[in-house]
Amino acid sequence: MTAATLPAGVLRRECVAELKRSWRLPQFLLPTVLTPAAFYALFTLGVARSPSPEAVAASLAGYGVFAATGAALFGFGAGVASEREQGIIEYKRISPMPTSAYLGAKLVTAMAATAMSVLLIYALGVIAGARLSAPQWALIFSLHLASTITFALIGFGIGMRMSAKGAVAVANALFLGFSVLGGLWIPSRVLPDWMQLAGELVPSFHLGQLGLFIVGAPVMGDPMTHGAVALLMTAAAGWWAYTGWGRSPA
Amino acid sequence: MPHRLYAIAELFSATKRLGGTDVLREFNLAIGAGEVTALLGPNGVGKTTAVGLLTGRLQPDDGTARLFGLDPSRPAARARMGVMLQASGLPDTLTVQELVTLQSGYYRDARPVAETLAIAGLCDLAKRRCGSLSGGQTRRVQYALAICGRPDLLVLDEPTAAMDQMSRHSLWDTVREAAASGAGVLLTSHDLAEADALADRVLVMDGGRIVADDSPAALRARVGGSVVRCRTKLPLVRIGVMPAVRDAIREGAETRIATIDAVATIRALADADRTLADLRVADASLEDAIAVLLTSPERIAA
Repeated sequence: MTAATLPAGVLRRECVAELKRSWRLPQFLLPTVLTPAAFYALFTLGVARSPSPEAVAASLAGYGVFAATGAALFGFGAGVASEREQGIIEYKRISPMPTSAYLGAKLVTAMAATAMSVLLIYALGVIAGARLSAPQWALIFSLHLASTITFALIGFGIGMRMSAKGAVAVANALFLGFSVLGGLWIPSRVLPDWMQLAGELVPSFHLGQLGLFIVGAPVMGDPMTHGAVALLMTAAAGWWAYTGWGRSPA
Repeated sequence: MPHRLYAIAELFSATKRLGGTDVLREFNLAIGAGEVTALLGPNGVGKTTAVGLLTGRLQPDDGTARLFGLDPSRPAARARMGVMLQASGLPDTLTVQELVTLQSGYYRDARPVAETLAIAGLCDLAKRRCGSLSGGQTRRVQYALAICGRPDLLVLDEPTAAMDQMSRHSLWDTVREAAASGAGVLLTSHDLAEADALADRVLVMDGGRIVADDSPAALRARVGGSVVRCRTKLPLVRIGVMPAVRDAIREGAETRIATIDAVATIRALADADRTLADLRVADASLEDAIAVLLTSPERIAA
């Protein structure tokens, strides 16, 4: 597809439309944005009495990945499945619009929801005493936004393969599994051995460990390895999403 | 038959398997510019599959599909096509105007949005969210999406189903205008009066192949004369050999007989069947012509 044959700005307009659509669905947006911050406030700032600034920052790294998981899996997974059932995707596919514009708009929307959610978490963290340098803030924010891509690709592959109901159920199961096994709620080091082992298999664990590395908290294993594994898993998720798109004429 | 100087959408020897069976086998189809082509036939004969191949929604398992000379799966090929599908939903939370504006943005030479809304009769609904529209209003929005880009190929799948009479006639006018200005139109419809009113060319499909390709007038002429409808207990084979009868089919309780001399046929019918009832005679319509075309000899003999 050459850019010359299509009007410019298709991606931008698609993004604006997609953002408007989500913005007008408060029943999607509010839980997606508020739940992770509420969990963070409850489990980190509420349960532990006067946690150390280091603990607040370490927990913030994990809960940011948790926020990305929710926005991406639900907006992108379940949302795509119901659009497919309504025939909206089919119409997009035969419109003179490149696939990348549709996917890009979805991704930007999921990232916007993640951004709102993590900024809320950062604010709570700062109030509770977390202190990070400017480069650390920039890096952790980038990591949390990038995490959205991994989970969005997984969610998209699910949405293209399952009914809307099935996709919601699977997204819920993954959301829970990724959070617990990834050590996003409770640090992996205090989890039982088998859960730590299982954690190696989920992208949320590796992304969470990268987050710990950025905020200067103790990391299980080598950060470079976590980065490489997270990239590989994202590539696999990309393949899963791509083949899902290809098989969906129904 | 109209001349097709320039085919803008074509299938060459296209085969498509779905669920293990060949829906289309070595299927050929060419849609010309400047004419309205109606693709007709019963459900499940491959119309939707043929349209899917032409619009790039489906890929042929064998053979090729061409849209303006390109592979229809490329957005550049679809840049000159507007499509109205029967079952495509609209995003609930966008307004009519926002959706039409978004779709117009996909095309190089799109109409002004206000003009599109006016053509589709949507000016009063522009600010409404798509989720709050009735079935007929939704069809009008889908129609607006199809025409907003001034497409050179307009594909309309059952366009006027669930539309009121006024919207329907305004759609017909726009389709005629589009064809007059050089666009090709591919129409599928269950409403044969619609096909008769709009089409320059009618393709009748059955069992994955085209069984007739002609103008509506020529198809009507094939049946000839008139159609007699009645209730009769006589077997179709007996009716088939009566004077002037060209064809006979039975649909439920009704028997439909194509004849070139209605009086002679009715006389023979009345003589043979004392219980003959509900007798009506009409000029052969496109519907009658197609019903006859789609009736295989085995069915007449049954």
